[in-house]
Amino acid sequence: MNYMPGTASLIQDIDKKHLVLLRDGRTLIGYLRSIDQFANLVLHQTVERIHVGKKYGDIPRGIFVVRGENVVLLGEIDLEKESDTPLQQVSIEEILEEQRVKQQAKQESEKLKVQALKERGLSVPRADTLDEY
Amino acid sequence: GVVYRSLEDCPLDEDEDAFQALGEEDEDIDQFNDDTFGAGAVDDDWQEAHERLAELEDKAGSGREPDGPVGNDGDVLGDPEDALAERLTRLVIDSELEDPAIMQAVHTREPPQPGGLNSSIWDSSAVLRRIRGPLLAQEMPSVSVLDYALPQRPPQARDEERDPSERALPRRSSSPIIGSPPVRAVPIGTPPKQAAIPNFNQQILCPKPVHIRATMQQRYPAPYGERMSPNQLCNVPNSSLLGHPFPHSVSPVLTHLQRAQLLGGAQAGRMSPSQFARVSGLVGSPLPSVNPKLLQGRVGQMMSPAGGFRAFFGAPPAPPPSQLPHPPGPGSHLQNLRSPQMFRPDTTHLHPQHRRLLHQRQQQNRNQHRSLNGSGGDRGGHRSSHQEQIRKDPYANLMLQREKDWVSKIQMMQLQSTDPYLDDYYYQNYFQKLEKLAAAEEVHGDGPKKERTKLITPQVAKLEHTYKPVQFEGSLGKLTVSSVNNPRKMIDAVVTSRSEDDETKEKQVRDKRRQTLVTIEKTYSLLLDVEDYERRYLLSLEGERPALMGERKQKICDIYDNLRGKAPGQDR
Repeated sequence: MNYMPGTASLIQDIDKKHLVLLRDGRTLIGYLRSIDQFANLVLHQTVERIHVGKKYGDIPRGIFVVRGENVVLLGEIDLEKESDTPLQQVSIEEILEEQRVKQQAKQESEKLKVQALKERGLSVPRADTLDEY
Repeated sequence: GVVYRSLEDCPLDEDEDAFQALGEEDEDIDQFNDDTFGAGAVDDDWQEAHERLAELEDKAGSGREPDGPVGNDGDVLGDPEDALAERLTRLVIDSELEDPAIMQAVHTREPPQPGGLNSSIWDSSAVLRRIRGPLLAQEMPSVSVLDYALPQRPPQARDEERDPSERALPRRSSSPIIGSPPVRAVPIGTPPKQAAIPNFNQQILCPKPVHIRATMQQRYPAPYGERMSPNQLCNVPNSSLLGHPFPHSVSPVLTHLQRAQLLGGAQAGRMSPSQFARVSGLVGSPLPSVNPKLLQGRVGQMMSPAGGFRAFFGAPPAPPPSQLPHPPGPGSHLQNLRSPQMFRPDTTHLHPQHRRLLHQRQQQNRNQHRSLNGSGGDRGGHRSSHQEQIRKDPYANLMLQREKDWVSKIQMMQLQSTDPYLDDYYYQNYFQKLEKLAAAEEVHGDGPKKERTKLITPQVAKLEHTYKPVQFEGSLGKLTVSSVNNPRKMIDAVVTSRSEDDETKEKQVRDKRRQTLVTIEKTYSLLLDVEDYERRYLLSLEGERPALMGERKQKICDIYDNLRGKAPGQDR
């Protein structure tokens, strides 16, 4: 049955493997089992995938119930093409370590930048206080 | 408690989605709010429930009816749960009876059924019961989590494996929450346990055949050969009921509604004859008995779960392949496939590489037939892949067909609008462009025209809603509730005119910039109007056309004036 052609109704996506990006930056991959009118999702055999550079690691999570408002986007995964990726899968520990290292590096560079600006008497404007004109 | 009639009387709800989703039809499409406050919400009358529970524990087994608003209807209800059911039913039905929006609410008295609380609330159609009668024979009694969810029942150990197919839906009660509109005939929250047919649907459409699921003792990993998938089970008894029990009676003269549908749903002049027939065909059949004027406001609620949908998709109303009854035949074939691997029974504990190998092996098996996800979006002929799905995926179809229909119904209701070009401008334009492309391709290309299914959204007449702040008797002041149609005023913006003297250069520059931006905005506004006139021109009757063209010309002049810095609207 062709549900709502031309729309983003998720009904056709049920029981298919999806990649879901959440607002907090997490990437979940799982089988979409159920939806509702708020686009709350039930994901089955979910795996949280962490990407760092060209590597990624999967953390098996089981069943997820995701509140609809936290979803940025989701897309169906083509099972045939799924393994056809230049990315390299590594173990969970390794990817978490990589992630931590990357976070640290980012924080350090940010700190240096703010410091340099302060020395010059400038301040980095925060996004919420930006003037319009 | 007091029941409020309109949405605007509701207190502020954290669930913004509920309010966003509502169109002008506040009273009618209020499923979310009802879910939060109305019949979908948990009974907030915990004191009473608690008392009842305490009494129940004190006098275990005695059939004493608790005191409370539950009237003595004459039925001696030994079970306090049923007393609550009575109260609920009455509350629901009574408010429906009073509501002018609902065309016909029938207050039927139903004998309390031991199994489900829901049934007494939702199924008040005798027809439905008759249909359900023969099918009920197939329904095996099972422990319903629904019972467990009732506050009155003493908490029993329900640790025995609950059949997920009998997935219980939390009990719903309608509580007299402030501001919540009366319970609609449209089911809200989660779909009810039995197929719900709102009262008024009796008048319009045939009741939907009920999907009865024979209980399955074990969902998995039972071998496939021994049982059919849930959908198959549903569809076997129902196959005779599918299709249209109502004879098609196409009314020769289009009602105003039908015309609106045709005009609104289809692009101007692009309505193919087959689409025309489909739209009027389906709309025509249930209409004859209904007052068209009433129907205008009720289009959204016209949808019966399965049958009515066919009006909204331009596709021919053929029974979908997946619903044809599958013979339990493929057992032997399945047995062979089953033994190597179940589809990821629980592979999450496996090493990722192991899992990948496993998966790839499964892939190969699958690729011999067809890919599980359907090859490249081929939705139409996916019968065999659907069968594959049933065979290989023990977790498939956890979401029942009726649940899908139910969600789809809500989504369709959200698409209702009085003027799709106003509410959904970008989608309409996008779709027009797509169709133009397709049409252009067809001209050059070969082969028959690919019947692209088109979503036809119902058009609703516009109803005027003015917000009146509600007031309690005996209280001071009024409640003000913020909703999408009545947003809360956050800023007290006051327009102050500046004098030219104390303006600095910077300010002047800034003002100039702002002025330019405003001019550009106005220009685009007028341009949109001009395009709008062109569209209306094509749809309008002959007599109105010159007037429209005149107005359009005026708008163009306004644009010109605006860009020149003069105030628009001057006479030419």
